Amino acid sequence: MFAIYRREVQSYFYTSAAYVFLGVFLTLGSIFFGVTNLASRSGNLLALFAELSYLWMLLSPILTMRLIAGERQRNTDQMLFSSPCPLSGMVLGKYLAACTVLLLAVACSVMYALVVAVYGKLYIGETVVGYLGLVLHGCAFIALDLFVSCFAKSQMTAVVLGIGVNLLVWMSDVLARAVTIERISQALNFISLYQRLSPFVRGQLSLSSVVYYLLFIVVMIFLSVRALDARRWSEA
Amino acid sequence: MIAFDHVSKRYGALNALQDITFSVPKGQVLGLLGQNGAGKTTAMNILTGCLAPSSGSVSIGGKDVLLHPREAKRMIGYLPEAAPVYDEMTVRAYLRFACELKEVERKAMNGHVEAVAEKTGLSDVLDRKIGNLSKGYRQRTGVAQALCGTPEVIVLDEPTAGLDPRQNSEMRNLILSLAGEHTILFSSHILSEVQAVCSRVIILHHGKMICDKALRDLQSKEHRLRVVIDSRDEKLLSALRQLHSVLRVEIEANPNPGLTQAVLTVDGSGLAERELFTLLSALQTPLLRLSPVEDSLEDVFLRATMDETV
Repeated sequence: MFAIYRREVQSYFYTSAAYVFLGVFLTLGSIFFGVTNLASRSGNLLALFAELSYLWMLLSPILTMRLIAGERQRNTDQMLFSSPCPLSGMVLGKYLAACTVLLLAVACSVMYALVVAVYGKLYIGETVVGYLGLVLHGCAFIALDLFVSCFAKSQMTAVVLGIGVNLLVWMSDVLARAVTIERISQALNFISLYQRLSPFVRGQLSLSSVVYYLLFIVVMIFLSVRALDARRWSEA
Repeated sequence: MIAFDHVSKRYGALNALQDITFSVPKGQVLGLLGQNGAGKTTAMNILTGCLAPSSGSVSIGGKDVLLHPREAKRMIGYLPEAAPVYDEMTVRAYLRFACELKEVERKAMNGHVEAVAEKTGLSDVLDRKIGNLSKGYRQRTGVAQALCGTPEVIVLDEPTAGLDPRQNSEMRNLILSLAGEHTILFSSHILSEVQAVCSRVIILHHGKMICDKALRDLQSKEHRLRVVIDSRDEKLLSALRQLHSVLRVEIEANPNPGLTQAVLTVDGSGLAERELFTLLSALQTPLLRLSPVEDSLEDVFLRATMDETV
């Protein structure tokens, strides 16, 4: 698992993937910070976290497209499948590598908090909670897109599928508000990742949301392992 | 070392492999031969655990690939049809990664990478990016990763595909140098390569195993002689056909219209040459050339795929 983790992290930086991800995240993040905080002279970073969370929906597939679909496209998956490394270790190593790049992006965004701390008043507690929500939200999208990547034969397909599924997850939140049938609305709310983020962007630490995110990640990793294993047994 | 036990694999209505049973003793170089779509790659993917069989089982060193994947896979080095290399990595970093996957001890890793690189002729390009290497070197890198961890079984799926003649010859020599130390399963649809490298051949056709023989046995099935005779007399041909040891006469084209070129299929009595010389001297006809015709694997393959039995 560590071999795969190390290789994936190195590979993100050997290629343009990590630079594109970090570049787009920090450019858009800085624009959001300028508009939300600097222009309005606001020290409240929670609104910024809510805006940054939408970036994961578009950027997460950039990190995950290569993980499974990329290996399949380059035929390197056979090297991994024929190695003694178990599938679970392989998937976990890849997932953690993508999360590492995401954490790096979040770490870079700490500069916004520093600017607020220097020129205004930073509410450390709610900022930390906001960052926790942002990281959990991003890691959940990576887990979802990793699973989606298992069904794609090329990196481009993985990106398109990933963004499509992410939009569906986002729309479930929008639909939940639009649907008048209570049960359907509740179900849509239940699968909505954005619903789970809302306590964090209000500065509240929600244990149930933390558990939900962690369970979501575990289930997606488990399903990814099953999806890869099912490919070996496929007779289609 | 390798045992296929009634292995079948279906893809919908297509039987990619049908009831394949064979075993490979330690140290043997086995050639898996077949046309495209015959089931060679499927068999190799099942052996290496990349695919699961629809029925039957495969074991390596007594370990079932599905039941004890980790133990079985420790004994395998696999080069798929397309070398599984990462263009952005250097050869050294890639081989280190392969060593880590194969659970080579960290302390021994540098030495192991150097040794594998030397064996596969990669020492000069160890610090170059794989993406900048020629096809031949990329293929060597693929073989090198298969050798990492010193596996007992090496599985090579069409390792010479796409190589130029010089690279082809180098790859063949490399595989020959590995024989003896490792049990090798080698697939190809280029028959002369199998002839050069393998001691035993299995022919697959439409997923069925239609031949499993030592190369020696395949080649010695028929004795044939090519003759060039300085005559175009029809009587000569009928006289040749009447020789006791000649079973069949096939006329071949010859650019010189005054000559007869033919391939004589003869029995194994060893009297054919004597009878031929006696006949031609009695007819006072010069024999310009007499040479044995090796029964090529191409012939065997064509016959096997037509008859589905050898």
